[in-house]
Amino acid sequence: MIEDTNLEDKPLTKWQQHRFMAMIGAVILIALFLVGVALALYASSGAAQLDLSRPGYVSVRDQANKDADFDSFPATGPMTEQTINQFRSHFEKQAQKATGIDSFGGNAMSDQALSLDNPPQ
Amino acid sequence: MKRLLAFLAVMSLTLIGTHVAAQSQESLMTDAHIDRIKSYCVEAQTTLGQLHASDALLRVNRGRLYESMATKLMAPFNSRIALSSLDSLGLPGIASRYDQELMAFRQSYQTYEESMSRTLRIDCVKQPVAFYDSVAETRSKRQQTHQHVTRLHQTIQDYKAEFEAFAKKFKEEQRGD
Repeated sequence: MIEDTNLEDKPLTKWQQHRFMAMIGAVILIALFLVGVALALYASSGAAQLDLSRPGYVSVRDQANKDADFDSFPATGPMTEQTINQFRSHFEKQAQKATGIDSFGGNAMSDQALSLDNPPQ
Repeated sequence: MKRLLAFLAVMSLTLIGTHVAAQSQESLMTDAHIDRIKSYCVEAQTTLGQLHASDALLRVNRGRLYESMATKLMAPFNSRIALSSLDSLGLPGIASRYDQELMAFRQSYQTYEESMSRTLRIDCVKQPVAFYDSVAETRSKRQQTHQHVTRLHQTIQDYKAEFEAFAKKFKEEQRGD
């Protein structure tokens, strides 16, 4: 005859008593670790520099251009004079936009512009 | 043991050198200059904050445009030439150079932005010299970013010139057939 085993009669070990809390703690620790990794990647990959949702960029956020106004040139199809003319027109239009502004130039950071120059003696 | 002592000596000299250099920079600045920095630095930080935001917008908009030039124009056109078994002249080479320049631009901007963020965090009234040095460093990094932009623009012009050479050759070949 098989002996009846009543689990409720067995005393629970300390681990068994707290295993649910331990699991919650472990999950929180894993989540914190993953968030740390994600933040490190966010900072090191350069994504942080492109994130206009960060505080301090509120004034310029809505001026970000949408990608929709840049049509892709088809990568397949025959090469004809018409194709070349089409590409020329498309390329010139976008090249004009790309090279039209002299970005990051100028004297916006000069000592004079920031009033940090050495005053005359 | 001797190596350890030599290493320690070199490290000490380097640290002393850095300290002396920093002190000499401070001593190069007159009291009037330091006072001027203290007086105007808060205003300068506000201006730098605005520049930081406008440069971020510029980076996003320009960066997207530069990237689209490579992925939506150069790469598909080069692919089309290859699929048509035509001589692409130097177009793939220029497109590859453009990709490298674009990568360098991204890296350069990131370094500049990090430097600018450090500058904005400095308490300039308490540390006017450190602030001034940090502004100088950021200015130099911004200048480097500008140089990468200039090279990108030049590469776009190079691609355009090579494309015209390709178009001319293609036209001649079409007439010859």
